[in-house]
Amino acid sequence: MQEFMQQVVSGIAIGGIFASLALALVLIYNAMGLVNFAQGEMAMMATFIAFTLIDRGVSYWIAFPATLLIAFAGGVAIQRVVIRPVERAPVLTLVIVTLGLAALVNGMAGFIYGYLPRAFPSPFPVVTVNVLGVFVSYRDLGVIAVSGVVLLAIYLLLQRTTIGLTMRAAAHHPEASRLLGVNVSWMLALGWGLASAVGAVSGIMAAPILFLEPNMMQTVIIYAFAAAVLGGVDSPLGAVIGGLIVGVTVNLAGAYIPFVGGDLQLAVALAIIITVLVLKPNGLFGRPSVRRV
Amino acid sequence: MAALLEMESVHAGYGPRSVLHGISINVAQGGIVSLLGANGAGKTTTLRAITAGVRWSGDIRFSGRSLRRMRTEDIVRAGIAHVPEGRGILTELTVDENLKLGAHLRSDSAEVRRDYDRVFEYFPVLKERRKLSASTLSGGEQQMLAVARALLMRPRLMLLDEPSLGLAPIVVRSIFEIIRTINQADHVAILLVEQNARLALDISSDAYVLEVGSVAVSGASADLKGNDSVRRSYLGY
Repeated sequence: MQEFMQQVVSGIAIGGIFASLALALVLIYNAMGLVNFAQGEMAMMATFIAFTLIDRGVSYWIAFPATLLIAFAGGVAIQRVVIRPVERAPVLTLVIVTLGLAALVNGMAGFIYGYLPRAFPSPFPVVTVNVLGVFVSYRDLGVIAVSGVVLLAIYLLLQRTTIGLTMRAAAHHPEASRLLGVNVSWMLALGWGLASAVGAVSGIMAAPILFLEPNMMQTVIIYAFAAAVLGGVDSPLGAVIGGLIVGVTVNLAGAYIPFVGGDLQLAVALAIIITVLVLKPNGLFGRPSVRRV
Repeated sequence: MAALLEMESVHAGYGPRSVLHGISINVAQGGIVSLLGANGAGKTTTLRAITAGVRWSGDIRFSGRSLRRMRTEDIVRAGIAHVPEGRGILTELTVDENLKLGAHLRSDSAEVRRDYDRVFEYFPVLKERRKLSASTLSGGEQQMLAVARALLMRPRLMLLDEPSLGLAPIVVRSIFEIIRTINQADHVAILLVEQNARLALDISSDAYVLEVGSVAVSGASADLKGNDSVRRSYLGY
């Protein structure tokens, strides 16, 4: 039982990482009806920026928010420069553009930093602590706390502030929002900035576990896809809950289903994606898509 | 005195399909003008041209300033509230959030609070439903929400696209009464597109009848109402 609970807690911790990246996917999906395939690579690049800052002697807790700001600015810039010119293009064009962006960012990171995996510092010690009879590592608790704070901040921003309200309006009803004086194009850019910053959180949290290298996020993004699909790809709350479920499921499957082990965990994520798409295509919290003919 | 809104031989259309063939319309400061005509005559397109929802040529001026090449959101910020065809309710959001979006550009918070009080006085049902999703409102309630939201924008000109569409007569009457009140209390000019010609002529001071993208008849509403031939050929009653 105790080992089971420990697996659940570390599942929640990696679930927080998936949830952050899934939330980034959902933010952009809502803004342009399309998943950003470059989200993981953008998060990886942001993590390299954090690495560089820390490497130069900047303290972790200054480098962390600084990286989020840089990631935010980068996300806005990418939307303005790369996405905006093709905003009205067919979906397939946009898919190709974000795939191209992913390849570009990945290549750039490889060119600048090389492909050697690097140890990324974590401010939380790996030692364990006894919480109500369950031994959990400070690192897991730290990841849970940081993801929790970030996700709560995004929730408050979207639900409780005027700028969040106009962002939601612009994402769901661009035409009607323009008639209310909302600068829709700028709101979409803010959405990209926000997604990029949330994605950076997942990268920075994942790096101490996975080691930092240009392909670090390529499995994480699959789990994030699974989380977003499970939660409903247009629901921010769904992304968070989906992330936690995927994290715990994958962790438990790895620990208790003999043939899954560490190698087939990704297959579990893919199985989740396929099962959800077949049984409940809108996910747990997504709204059914109704089209008026 | 120059009119608040002046449209001068405006041509507009969707891609190769031209819909407006050079119409000229004026709305006076604080006046109510109705725009009548059959389906497809170009009434909605006229409103869409004003808020840059469709490409146009000619000239449109709002309090003396040309709206050429302005973006929709900037035209709205200049003081034009457009309640579009289909009402433009944001159904993903709550009633309250829809109203907030009406006032989101304003910084005069004391005035905004007073306007909220007025809105809830006009439409008590919106106060009851504040926390509910706007998608749960009936058609009439959605129309009330659209007008309430436009009022919260504190515009100088309101464009209303068929506020009576699909509503029960009693609801229509109360909405039109409030439109008249808004016009008088706030001195908001109104350009009203309506299928219900009798209603529109009752409330407006001037009217234009559109026919396949051109102004066929125009004049004081009272004259149009009294003119039998106009009534029979264009207004259908």
